[in-house]
Amino acid sequence: MTTHPVGVVGAGSWGTTLAKVLGDNGHQTLLWTRREALCNELNEKRTNSAYLPDAELPAAVEGTTDLARVGRECRLILLVVPSHGLRATARELGAHLTGEHVLVHAVKGIEEGSFKRMSEVLREETCVRKLGVLSGPNLARELAARQPTGTLVASRYDEAFERCHAALNNQYFRVYAGTDVIGAEIGGAFKNIVALAAGVAAGLGLGENTKALLLTRGLSEMARFGAAMGADVLTFGGMAGIGDLIATCSSALSRNHQVGARLAKGESLAAIQADMRMVAEGVKTTRAAHQFATAKGLDLPIVRAVHHLLYEGGDVPTLLSDLMSIPTGAEFAALTL
Amino acid sequence: MRPEDRERAQIEAATRVVDRAVARARSSADLEALVSDTLYHERRRLERARKSDPRTDDDLAFCQKLQRGLKHASDADLRRMLDEIARRFAREIVGNFDERVYRLSTTVIPTGLSLLLSTMTPGRLLSLDALRTGLSDHIKLQGAVDHARGLLAHGTLIVVPTHSSHLDSIVLGYAAHLMGLPPLLYGAGLNLFENRFISFFMNNLGAYRVDRKKQSSLYKDVLKEYATVALEFGYHNLFFPGGTRSRSGAVEQHLKRGLLGTGVAAYVNNLRAKREKPNLYVVPCTISYKLVLEAETLIDDYLQEVGKSRYIIEDDEFSRPRRVAQFLSDLIRLDAKVVLTFSQPLDLFGNAVDEAGRSVDPRGRHVDPATYVMRDGEPVPDRQRDAQYTTELSEAIARSFLKDNVVMSTHVVSHALLDVLARKNPGMDRYRLLRTGGASPSIPMEEVCTATDRVLGALGELPVAPHLGDEVARNDVRGVVDDALRHYDCYHLHPAATRRGDRVFHEARNLLLYYGNRLRGYDLGRSLEGA
Repeated sequence: MTTHPVGVVGAGSWGTTLAKVLGDNGHQTLLWTRREALCNELNEKRTNSAYLPDAELPAAVEGTTDLARVGRECRLILLVVPSHGLRATARELGAHLTGEHVLVHAVKGIEEGSFKRMSEVLREETCVRKLGVLSGPNLARELAARQPTGTLVASRYDEAFERCHAALNNQYFRVYAGTDVIGAEIGGAFKNIVALAAGVAAGLGLGENTKALLLTRGLSEMARFGAAMGADVLTFGGMAGIGDLIATCSSALSRNHQVGARLAKGESLAAIQADMRMVAEGVKTTRAAHQFATAKGLDLPIVRAVHHLLYEGGDVPTLLSDLMSIPTGAEFAALTL
Repeated sequence: MRPEDRERAQIEAATRVVDRAVARARSSADLEALVSDTLYHERRRLERARKSDPRTDDDLAFCQKLQRGLKHASDADLRRMLDEIARRFAREIVGNFDERVYRLSTTVIPTGLSLLLSTMTPGRLLSLDALRTGLSDHIKLQGAVDHARGLLAHGTLIVVPTHSSHLDSIVLGYAAHLMGLPPLLYGAGLNLFENRFISFFMNNLGAYRVDRKKQSSLYKDVLKEYATVALEFGYHNLFFPGGTRSRSGAVEQHLKRGLLGTGVAAYVNNLRAKREKPNLYVVPCTISYKLVLEAETLIDDYLQEVGKSRYIIEDDEFSRPRRVAQFLSDLIRLDAKVVLTFSQPLDLFGNAVDEAGRSVDPRGRHVDPATYVMRDGEPVPDRQRDAQYTTELSEAIARSFLKDNVVMSTHVVSHALLDVLARKNPGMDRYRLLRTGGASPSIPMEEVCTATDRVLGALGELPVAPHLGDEVARNDVRGVVDDALRHYDCYHLHPAATRRGDRVFHEARNLLLYYGNRLRGYDLGRSLEGA
């Protein structure tokens, strides 16, 4: 079998972490960034001080700004860019791809306006069919420190999983297979909305009971939203659903959680975003999910309350009272398994 | 298929299937199980078959002979048995399996048709003059006709049409002739060869025989392999991807992938054999009728038990020459056109293909289709991957069907009438509404026009709207309703709806459902609810 390097497009914290895992596994890896200065740092200092401080990149990882080279030399390419930038990057990369490529994205968002999932964007911008999504309880800094975790690679094509498994699986990173691309994408995107709400609760000093309430009701909304998008509800009981939800909503490392916590302390969204180097996907996903839910007539109270807080001038006390005044009834009402 | 290719194709298909089965078998027991399973399915089929048919006796004797030898068979014996069975299946599929049926079908002229067409024997019907003045006036070809024809120079075509009627194959065979395409090879149900009228056309359109009553996996494998080999030999094929005629009247959206999947298999084999023109092109085609010959039987079958309808119907309108004659006569009298719309040709992976036969990605960049089946630079088959490609292709075909469906007056007005009935009888379930018609047997003409206008408005707002038939595009709403009523009033035993005074009486509501279902799949419900 010919050995091709593995491509990672996007050198943020998550892209750099995945490149590090690939390098740890001994795979030649091309880590693409648009920024020349960052590329130089990756290659010369073996670090990414802006996005993944304290981590040293293995020798097998090479930074590059040449997207054509990634397309030409790699057969497996992981796409790890913010959701709003995926379309443009994929279009540019698409000029260098063929039917033999496998593209797996690790982007946890939904395209605003079009409500398209990331794999749909890739399908529209490239000729590649062997598409997949990687999603799970994967906080970048923990994984970069080689703390054990797992992830799901979902694809309609076995080859996408096989290639990802061969490249990424190791003693501290367990790679599982799935076929429900929609479920994995929705789980990864939706949990960020719940993480925002959980962040608010944590910021207010509320305890574990509240967090557990938010998580379980958030999971229920995730399943309803996912089912409306065509997902298999069972996926949300796995790593890309409850697994990711627990990690994101429990950790102060999560960007979305941080945004929620800072909102609870009285900071404005604009001020928080201006201050954050990294993208909190949940902020955009809330708007996309709210638009979709409205268009489809779906009742998603947590999405509605977070949207009210972020975009309709709502305040934190209102968010809390909004959530606590949701009528209760049968726990699994409106959810068909 | 040309006579010189027939034997080659039979042997090739049977040998490949047996080779694969032998390679898969882990022990003699596996091979024995395959032979036993095939014989079991054959015996079950023969038990239900007509006792008077000489073929039944012959097949039974064949099964009994093999069954007797099975007990003490060595590996070599089992391989020989499988060979015998597979070759027998292949012979049946390719043809010439019963010359008596063949002779009968090509010499006897159906009585009803001969009356209708006076001196037009099937032979004369197929003659160019008769066709030009007859069928050609009633068939309209549109869409990517030149594009599809141009692709003949670059590879092999797989035409995939919607399927409403047994007349489809005749209409398509004739359309292919008009387009200058060579005959399209296609698998027709065995029952059609026993229909005297159509068997003539079957044999002239390059049909091979598919016996849907044969349920063994070996038979299905031989059938698929024969289609694969035919594609590799460069025979242009016709697959009905819906598998059978649409029972509900809706444009097919859940397509069968069995035969469609032979495309990728043939393509990989072409690449491995380094054939000069390895490419295969898929041409979706919608066939749109204002009236469908078998509408009554099909919708009744659909409603009898949704989801459990009969796969093979042998006693429909098509088997009654008088009904066929009446249908054709009405078609000619009403000057109704059957519209065939050829969609943008696709490669096997769902990419658009340009006029030079090159695959094009969604951003207009050329793609080498061979790269989809490459692994480390070599074309290789991969069962799971290729099945997914076929799934994606079937989804692309389904989208083409919706986009290039031609909406006719009977479809719009049927949909509108059912919409009015549902509004007037809120809370009544669909089946009761179809059975009883609700509170009133008629609807004022004005309301029918308003409802029709609403449906047309909803269609116009769709992001991807279907085509409109000439009578819909060129007429005002009143003209559309009148045209539909004129068509309802003829051919069917009971009109779907009929006008008396200023009111429209909904009579055969099942037919309204059938024709209205042509708009199912466009999600008009929400727009209509808001109207």
